[in-house]
Order: sequence, then structure tokens, then C-alpha cells
Amino acid sequence: MPGEVDTDEYEDVWVFIEQHDGEAAKVSWELLAKGRELADEKGERLIALVMGEEVSHLADEAITRGADEVLVVEDPIFEPYLPGPYGEQFRILVEERKPDIVLIGGSHTGRDFAGRVAVPTYAGLTADCTELEIEPDTHLLLAKRPTFGGDAMATIKCVDHRPQMATVRPGVFDAAEPDPDREGEVVEIECGVDESSVHSRMIERVVGDITDITDAEVIVAGGFGTDGNFGPIEDLAEVLGGEVAATREAVEEGWIEAARQVGQTGKTVKPDLYIAAGISGAIQHLEGMNDSQTIVAINDDPNAPIFDDADYGIVGDMFEILPALTEAVRARKEGEA
Amino acid sequence: MSQEWNIVVGVKQVPDADDVSIDPDTGTLNRSDAEAVLNKPDYNAIEAALKLKEEVGGTVTAVTMGPPFAKAVLETAVGLGADDGVLLTDRAFGGSDTWPTSLALAAIAEELDADVVIAGEESTDSSTGQVPPGIAAHNDWSQLTYVEDLEPRPEDDELVAIRDIEGGHEKVAASLPVVVAVGFGMNEPRVAGLHRKIFSETEFEPKEYSASDLGIEESVGLAASPTSVGGMDTADPVERKRKMVDSVDDLVEALESEGAI
Repeated sequence: MPGEVDTDEYEDVWVFIEQHDGEAAKVSWELLAKGRELADEKGERLIALVMGEEVSHLADEAITRGADEVLVVEDPIFEPYLPGPYGEQFRILVEERKPDIVLIGGSHTGRDFAGRVAVPTYAGLTADCTELEIEPDTHLLLAKRPTFGGDAMATIKCVDHRPQMATVRPGVFDAAEPDPDREGEVVEIECGVDESSVHSRMIERVVGDITDITDAEVIVAGGFGTDGNFGPIEDLAEVLGGEVAATREAVEEGWIEAARQVGQTGKTVKPDLYIAAGISGAIQHLEGMNDSQTIVAINDDPNAPIFDDADYGIVGDMFEILPALTEAVRARKEGEA
Repeated sequence: MSQEWNIVVGVKQVPDADDVSIDPDTGTLNRSDAEAVLNKPDYNAIEAALKLKEEVGGTVTAVTMGPPFAKAVLETAVGLGADDGVLLTDRAFGGSDTWPTSLALAAIAEELDADVVIAGEESTDSSTGQVPPGIAAHNDWSQLTYVEDLEPRPEDDELVAIRDIEGGHEKVAASLPVVVAVGFGMNEPRVAGLHRKIFSETEFEPKEYSASDLGIEESVGLAASPTSVGGMDTADPVERKRKMVDSVDDLVEALESEGAI
């Protein structure tokens, strides 16, 4: 079969450390923690890959967060991220060093990179995985992701090709606390690409405060049932000291920023309290919130599937229930004060 | 490169999201009953392609890969204003994952001498988003993903894009040829004109290409696909209390007793 390789030649688990201006994306540390588990299970090494202009501090951090070895490729050509040079350098490294598994964050940059590099390496790439396991007998990566439209998880395997690659959205796994005593090796790699791999140029890059709902202790989320009015959701989130979140539909309607999307193609959150208002409960959304401690569902449809996945449900108009709930919480807080 | 652009828009036929069920016996997706429709994000891709043509001049050719009845999505694209449609259809394509799929689309883009390939962000049935960068990688072309706005610069053989990134945006200039994946909802798709719609449904016939027409018959299909589905499981449900409460006061009381608020 085309592109088949001797799979025995491939070993180790790699994690692509996504960084911008020397700052690592949090999802990279989350994947490093998961990669550590997978590498231990396979009895292989965990290797972090860092590309950029001045990124040696990230190599040190990767070791404290679980890497046995860090491949560092420093060159101005790698700042800012562009798919051409990143893709070509990655291809060279895979050809030389033959990793068995490569994990990449499911950010826009990560997905842009993963889709680009899977082709020249003839890798098996699975997008937006929510579980990663090692198959006991074969040591193959089992990449699991919810499938379209239903209550099912598909397990994707890559049997004859290497590397086995997966992207994972932010918040699915927990990052490990850095251990300053961990030891590892930093390997400096000479940049192997030149201007011929550059097909595009960055004119400007504007990044403001990145909203991060993955650490919130309380989340109030709205879906299609809000009909675009997130006011009552914001009010309740404020009085509870929590964050506002939303379903994919709400984001696609343009009602709320994409950074607040919870679900398979958004963020995975694990708050103590998740209040879902006007959310029907599609599997893709549940996938992003079902690790929450306590789930409350508010919906005017008594048959909405969200009630099956909630600890407490209340049937009714969210535009009446949410303000009443906000008032009740506020009254109690004032009573305490 | 010519001043006018050959714009290729990649479209996909998908099962209507509301119509798919799980077969309770096999656990596999039952897509056979679902109505086949144009992937929703592709409407944004078609709109972006038509706008580019209006600004730069040239042609818009819709391309899809699928069984003969996938012709329907080409009709939709032509009805909306695409000049022509191409159907990649061959049993050899069956079972292709994103690697051979992007190869086939890369080959037809080359064949059509494309300056710009535009696709939707991802498909609603498999939602990988891997095909557009895959096309670019196969042809060693530039790529622009998660695009929110496009500004053609034909005098420089460049396409400038605003890309959505976490917490902000990037403005990137890409050399032609380029593969673009537009963000879902990046524009307001037009409605098909009546005459064009009638033409697309009555007179329009797509050009058909087989895998061997593109010289890639050995490199597509199930055997050329690195990934395979290893199984389907029902998602493990998390045990929940599923307690229905009648009033806000009851809810507050319950949450308080749990220490949730």
C-alpha cells in the first residue's frame, strides 16, 4: 500500500509546543501531561518540539512539565508562525527521528499546522480527540472523538502509517504542575529550511486578552434558546463570580465570541457549577461540559436531552428563571454580608 | 500569472445534520435515511469565491468528490453563480480519509490551473478541517485557514486575508496559488437567482473525472488512507441526579445544600 512504513522503526511520543512571541499556548502543557502518560505506558520517551526565534526558556519549562527531551529549533524564520517553514522543518524532523505519536493542540494555529504536516509525512491524523489511549496488545494510539449527530464515540486508529497524529482542543486534559527538579535533555537542532518554504508573510498580528473559560469555577452557558439575548446569562454569571459560555450554534449566530464556545470544537470545561440555559444538549456540547461537578439545566422543552445530563433541571422560560435566580443568589449573598 | 483568476471552490455533500441516527444494533451511524445536502460552511466558501471573481475577474469552478448523485451540490453552486462544476467520481475514491481526499482535490486544482482554491472551514459530518491545508501541502502551495476577510491583490499575485486566531486576528499575505479555508459565517451567502437556478437544474452537466484521469488511482481510496475507524462506542454517560425542581427557590436550596453556590 502506498506510503506504508516499517512501523517498528518509529518510537517516542512527541508534543508540538505551540508558542507565539515566546509564550506557550496552555494546551501544549496539557498535551505534555497526557503525552507523559502515553509515553510511560509504551515505555518510550516523551519529546517536546519547540520552534521559534527565542524559545530556549520554553525548552526548560517543557522538561519541568514532563518532557525527557526537547528538540529546539531557533531561527527568525519561525517567528511568527507560518505553515510553510513550520511544515517543512517538521517534515525534516519526522524523517530523521521517526516519532511514533505526535500530539498537537487543536487551536487555529495547531490545526493549520497539523493539516499541513500530515500530508508530507503521510501521517494518520485525527482531529479534536477527547480521549487518547494506548491499545494494550498493539501499542497503537486509540484516538477517540465524538461522531456526528449522535451519542457515539468513534475510535480512530492508524495501523500501517507513522506518525500517529492527533489534535486535541484546549481544556480536554489537565496540565501538570512544573517540577523544577525534573531533568531532561535539550537538543538544539539546526534550522533546515530557507526562504523557499515561505509562501506567505505576516502583515500584522493582533492579540488582545485571551478569554479563558477553562479554569472557571462557575459557568453560565447559553444556547439557541437565548435567541441572541445573553443579558440574563451575563447577570447570573456576574453575581456567581463565573464566566459566560455558549454552544456552537450561539457562536455561529454571532451572538458571542468563539473563545467562549464549549464543546468538541470549542473548549472543555470542568467547573464546580455549570448552568445551561436554552441549550438542548447535543453530544458535541455535552462532551465539553460533562466533567462539571454539578450541572443545572434550564429549558422550556421538558423533553430536551440536556435534562438527562443534568443534576437539577427546571422547565420554563429562561428569561424568567435566570433573573429570578440572579435575584435569589444576590439576596442570599447580601444576607450573608 | 494571468490577471484574471481561476477560482476553484471545493464543496461537499453531507447528510443533513438533523436526519442522522445511530443504528441501535450495530452502533454505527445511519446516514442512509438522511437527506444529502450541501455542507453549510460551503455556502460561505461559494460566496467568497463569487466575491473574489467580482473583484478580480476570472471564473469560479465548483468541485466535489463523491458518488454520481453528489452532482446535486454542484448544481447548488452553479445555481448560486459558479461558472462550472467538476465531479470527481470513481469507486476508487471510496473509503478515502483526509489524506487521499486532499490529494484528489489537489490534483484537480492543478488540472484546472487554479490560482485560488476556496473551501469551507470544515464539513459538518466529519469536522476535521484537515482537507484545505492538505490540498495546499500536496501541491506545496500557500494556505490561509480560518479566514474572516479576503483582499485580492492581483497586481502582486497575492491574496491577503484576515485570519481568526485565539484572542485576536492575523493579517497574512499569501502568494498564489493559495488554498483558503473560510470561517463559518464569514459572509452572508447570496440567494440563487431564479434563471441561474433553473439552468443549474435543467441544462448544467458537470465535467467528470475519474482517479485515473488524474493519474492518482494508486494513491486514493481505503488502501491509501492512513486512518481507519477502529470502532464505535456509545459515549459513557456521566451519572447525574436528574432531579427536576419546580421553583427557583428549590433550585437555590438544592445548590446551597451541595455547596455549589
